[in-house]
Amino acid sequence: MTRGARLRLLLALPAVALIFVFMVLPITNMVEMSFRTLGTTAPFGDSYTTGHYSRILSDGYYWQVLLRSLVTALLVTLLCLLVSYPIAWHMSKAHGFKAVMLYALIASPLMTGVLVRNFGWMIVTALNGPLNETLLGLGIIERPLRLLFTQGLVVLALVHVFVPFMVLPINNALRNIPPALVEASSSMGANRWQAFRDVILPLSFPGIYPGVILVFVLSIAAYVTPALLGGQMVSYMPTLIVAELNGTFRWPLGSALAIVLAVVTLICVAAFTLLTAKLMEKSRA
Amino acid sequence: MAAVEVRDLRKRYGSFLALDGVSLTAQTGQLVTLLGPSGCGKSTTLRCLAGFLDPDGGSISIDGSDILGVPANRRGFGVVFQNYALFPHMTVAGNIGYGLKLQKRPKTEMAERIADAMRLVRLQGLEDRYPRQISGGQQQRVALARALVLRPRLLLLDEPLANLDARLRDEVRWLIRDVQQESGITAFYVTHDQSEAMAMSDMVAVMKEGRVAQFATPREIYQKPVERYVADFTGEANFLSCTRVAPVAGGYDIEVAGAHLRVAGVPGIRDRAELLLRPEALSIAPDTGQALFQGRVEKLAFLGASQHCEVRLPDGGALKLAVQANRPVGVGDQAGIRIDSEHAWLMPEVRQ
Repeated sequence: MTRGARLRLLLALPAVALIFVFMVLPITNMVEMSFRTLGTTAPFGDSYTTGHYSRILSDGYYWQVLLRSLVTALLVTLLCLLVSYPIAWHMSKAHGFKAVMLYALIASPLMTGVLVRNFGWMIVTALNGPLNETLLGLGIIERPLRLLFTQGLVVLALVHVFVPFMVLPINNALRNIPPALVEASSSMGANRWQAFRDVILPLSFPGIYPGVILVFVLSIAAYVTPALLGGQMVSYMPTLIVAELNGTFRWPLGSALAIVLAVVTLICVAAFTLLTAKLMEKSRA
Repeated sequence: MAAVEVRDLRKRYGSFLALDGVSLTAQTGQLVTLLGPSGCGKSTTLRCLAGFLDPDGGSISIDGSDILGVPANRRGFGVVFQNYALFPHMTVAGNIGYGLKLQKRPKTEMAERIADAMRLVRLQGLEDRYPRQISGGQQQRVALARALVLRPRLLLLDEPLANLDARLRDEVRWLIRDVQQESGITAFYVTHDQSEAMAMSDMVAVMKEGRVAQFATPREIYQKPVERYVADFTGEANFLSCTRVAPVAGGYDIEVAGAHLRVAGVPGIRDRAELLLRPEALSIAPDTGQALFQGRVEKLAFLGASQHCEVRLPDGGALKLAVQANRPVGVGDQAGIRIDSEHAWLMPEVRQ
């Protein structure tokens, strides 16, 4: 082994160690836990079973929760994309002070802690909160709106916090598109919509792709927002998993649910990657 | 087929006057070059023509009808960009066919016209490649084919050769000229390279600080420039201050370096003038009796067909001249220089 190769290995060591200790070990532990039997005096038993997986797969309730998590994550991702694209467009055209201000505004949802942000939503949307008070005061509504503890509010709050993850990569991609390409398309007869559809949108895909993956993965795994704003009536996969781990202390079942969620997420990401591979290959030039 | 008239075009960016009253014309089938250093307004003029930029004032008309209100996508002009501006996510055929696709042409017509355009610029066989998979010269041909396939009324080229190496530049330059003449299309060509402008153009507009300094044929621009700026920008030049200028029929009687000459020049010169002497207007005198200047050969470059020679004069000035290749000259030689007054040109002296 040359000196250079040894040095490279040495430099890689901290990262490898970190990933091993904080990712490989816990996941192995989790997988192992998911095959253990339930215990009566401890959170898990001594022998092994595949029973938790067959129970999850055969019980409609778990399917329903999984589906709710998936639909919510998809909806959040889609709304994030729709909200973020125009913002990213404006950002990509901004320079100097305006650009700095836009970056600060975009990053602002991330500057508050997760609890503060969600309690903020709770206060604002409460039955006698400022939003309802204002609407009542203005005479726009007659009875206070029930916003808190609805799935709609969960989606709204997740979109709010995940928009930066969509805006920033799309902004980057848009900045990389030479303005001459748009001029070229217009000289060939394209109107603004056609130039957007045929040139800008496909060429911004290298920004859309990471944005979509990031927001989807973050929202399907989000715990605090659904737990605080979704109320007691509906469960999402993360809230259900935490309930099994911390509430009923059925660690093997909770682990199995976590593994199912991770696998489903991975399948979604892989499917999206495969479906868009050709577009990605073309637009990356 | 299109005759173009640009009149008094104005454009201001903040305090910077990009176009300060640009006027130009192009007859049908002519190639008009906008020549000048960066910042002179040549690209701005082209962008106004293309419709990418709205001028603050002035007019642009084609065959008599004003086009300034017409958006770029309805002007029907072909544009070739400096960096080609090919769509990286489309194949060569996709790039060339994009405009036809927007026009919703039938498949067979599209295929035919794409094939024709590719033959025109000698690109056959590259239909399915992506822009990043072909060379710079090939990319420039795609850009040209893409601009021509829609049979535009006007072809606009913005420094199309700037990013090519010298050999390719020559090749693509002739291709552009051939294709332009063959199709009889009116074209505007922006460049900062005077040899490109001279070789290709029917008319050249030398631009300076947002204005057209001179608009004439390449020959006239080179031989009869209206001011020193134009002469400087269009080739090697020597300038000599003249004393005593007297207008006579068809020219001027002047005194330069103690000698009396009769030369042609810009009409209307009153007092201060300088004489333009291109390197080929000077020669080394066989015997010193015919020489106007005496100097020492300081630099010599053998160029094959001729030699480029720089002679230092006793008063400190220097003259550049072209010497026949077979004439024996050496650095350090004393040389007598004479003026071929047929090739001299008198211009008003610019007061600094």
